[in-house]
Amino acid sequence: MTDRTVSSAPARRPRRELSEGQLAAVLLAPALLVLGAVLLYPMLSTLYTSLLTQKLTEPWLGTPFSGLKNYVQLVHDARFWTALQHTLVFGVLTVSGSFLVGVPMALIAHWEGRLRPYARVAMLLPWAMPPTFTALTFQWMFNGQYGVVNDLLVRLGGEARSWLTQPVWAATALILTIIWKTSSFVALMVLGGLQGVPRELTEAAEVDGAGSWVSFWRVTVPLLAPTLAVAFIFRAISALQVFDIPYAFSGGGPAGATETLGIYIYRTSIEFLDFGYGAALAVALFAVSLGITAVYVRYVRGDQ
Amino acid sequence: MTAVRRFQHRPGATVWRALGYAALILGGLFPLLWMILTSFKSEDELSRFPVQYLPSHWSLHNYRLVFSEQPFATFFLNSLLVSVVSTALCVGIAALAAYALARLNLRRRGLYTTLIVTFSMFPVISLMVPLFRIMRGVNLLNTYPALILPYTALSLPIAILVLVAFFSGIPRDLEAAAMVDGCSRVGALRRIILPLSAPGVVTAALLVFVNSWNEFLLALSLTTRPAMRTVSVGVTLYQGEFSFPWPLISAAIVIGLVPIVLLIVVFQKRFVAGLAAGGVKA
Repeated sequence: MTDRTVSSAPARRPRRELSEGQLAAVLLAPALLVLGAVLLYPMLSTLYTSLLTQKLTEPWLGTPFSGLKNYVQLVHDARFWTALQHTLVFGVLTVSGSFLVGVPMALIAHWEGRLRPYARVAMLLPWAMPPTFTALTFQWMFNGQYGVVNDLLVRLGGEARSWLTQPVWAATALILTIIWKTSSFVALMVLGGLQGVPRELTEAAEVDGAGSWVSFWRVTVPLLAPTLAVAFIFRAISALQVFDIPYAFSGGGPAGATETLGIYIYRTSIEFLDFGYGAALAVALFAVSLGITAVYVRYVRGDQ
Repeated sequence: MTAVRRFQHRPGATVWRALGYAALILGGLFPLLWMILTSFKSEDELSRFPVQYLPSHWSLHNYRLVFSEQPFATFFLNSLLVSVVSTALCVGIAALAAYALARLNLRRRGLYTTLIVTFSMFPVISLMVPLFRIMRGVNLLNTYPALILPYTALSLPIAILVLVAFFSGIPRDLEAAAMVDGCSRVGALRRIILPLSAPGVVTAALLVFVNSWNEFLLALSLTTRPAMRTVSVGVTLYQGEFSFPWPLISAAIVIGLVPIVLLIVVFQKRFVAGLAAGGVKA
C-alpha cells in the first residue's frame, strides 16, 4: 500500500525511510514470530517437560520437577534401545536403498526423449504422495492372503509369505515401502544436480575419447558430490524421525518388530499418557537430529 | 553435440533406454495403478488367489460408498482449505524474510540462516504434545488455524531457503533502476523480484502445499471431530478393528491423490527446474 502512494505521487512529501537494518528486521519479524511461537516455544516446552514427572494416568502425582529422572529411566529402558536399534537399522537400509534406486532413477529421468515427462511424473509421484496413502497402499500390496506382491512372487516361481505377521518379513516389507517412497526424493535432488552439470564438460570428456561410463564417473559424479552429500543428510534426518509410514503400515507390530523411535514417542505420550517420559524420548530424538544438522550447517557454511 | 548424438545412436542404446523408462514409469506408477484397479473391484473379487487383476465390471459403487461411509467430501474440503491458506501465508511470510536475507545489508545473516536450517530439522513428533496444549489453551483445537499455523511454520524454513536462492540470482541493477524511478524497497520486491522469481515462488508454493496436504501426525492429534479431519487422516478411518475394506480405502486414496497428481502433471518441468535452481531440501 505504501509503495502505491510513493510511485503514483512522486511530488508528495517523501516518507521517512527506514534504515536497511530496520527494514530487514521488519521483514524478518513475521517469519521469526511464527517460527518462535510454533516451533521454538513448543520445543523448549518439550525440553522442560522432560524434566518433570507428568503422567496423566497417575494424576495424583501432580507434575513435580524430577530432574534427570526421565533420562535415567531412558538409559535403562530396553524398549527405548530396541526402538533406537530398529530406527538405526531401518535408517541404514532405507537410506542406502533410496540411493541405490534413486540415483539410477534420476539418470533415466535426465535422458532426453519423448517419454521424459511421463518419467518425471512417475518419479515425482512417490515423493508427493501422502505417507499414510503410501503405507496403506503397500499394506494392501503386501497382504499375506490376497496381496499382489505374493501373487507376482508365486507367478515368478517364488513362495507366498505372510508378510505382515512375521517380524522379519514385516520389517522387510516396511523397509521396501520406505525405499519406494524416499528413492523419489533422492532422484529429485540428483536430477536437480544433473541439470547443473554443464553439458560441455561431459561432451568434452567424450570427445577426448572417454566412454560415457568413464565420463560419468570422472566428470558427472564428482560434480554431483555436493548434491549427494546434501541428499544424504536430509535422508538421514528423515530416516531418524520416521513415523507416518511405519505407524500406518504396521503400527510398530508385529510384536514391536517395526517400532521406531518416532512410534515409541507417540505411544508413550498419546497412549500411555506419560508426557514427561515421552518428552525425554523426544529430546533424545531431537539431540540426534541436531547432531546431523550441525554437520549440515557446517557444510553449507563452508560452501559460501 | 556430436558426442551426444553418437551416444544416442549407438546400437543397443534404444533398447536400454526403453527398458529404463519402462522400469521407472512402472515402478513409480504401479502402486497407484493397483489402487485404481482395486477401487473398482468388489470385496468378493478381492478375496481370490491367484489375484484377479482386472475388475469384472467397472462400477463407481466404491466411490459412492467413500462419501457415504465417512464425510469424505468434508475431509477433502478441509485439506484443500488448510493447504491453500497455509501455502499463501507461508509463501507470503517467506518472501519478506527471504528478501531481507538475500538483498538487505543484514548483520548476523549467517546466524539467521543457521537458525532457519535448524528449525527445519525439528522432529514434528517432539512438537506434538506442546502444540496440543497450546492449541487447547487458546481454544483452537478442532479449528482450521490449529493446522494452518503449524503447517505454515513447518514449511517456512524450506520456503525461505528456496526463495533466498532465487532472489539472490536476480541482478541487483534491476532493483536499483526501479528504486531510482521512485519504487520503494518493498515495491521493488513486489514489482521486480517476485515476478522475476516466479519459478521459485511456484516451487516454494508446491513444496508447502504438498507438505500440508500430506501431513498426518498433527492432523491426527490437533483435530478430533470428524468434521475437522483432513484426507491424510481420513483414509485411515475406513478400517475397522479387524477389517480393511480395501476397495473403499483404495477409492478414498485415489480421490485424495487427485490434487497432488494434477499439480505434478501440470508443474513437473518447472518444479524440477525450480528445485535444481533452489538446490535445497525437497
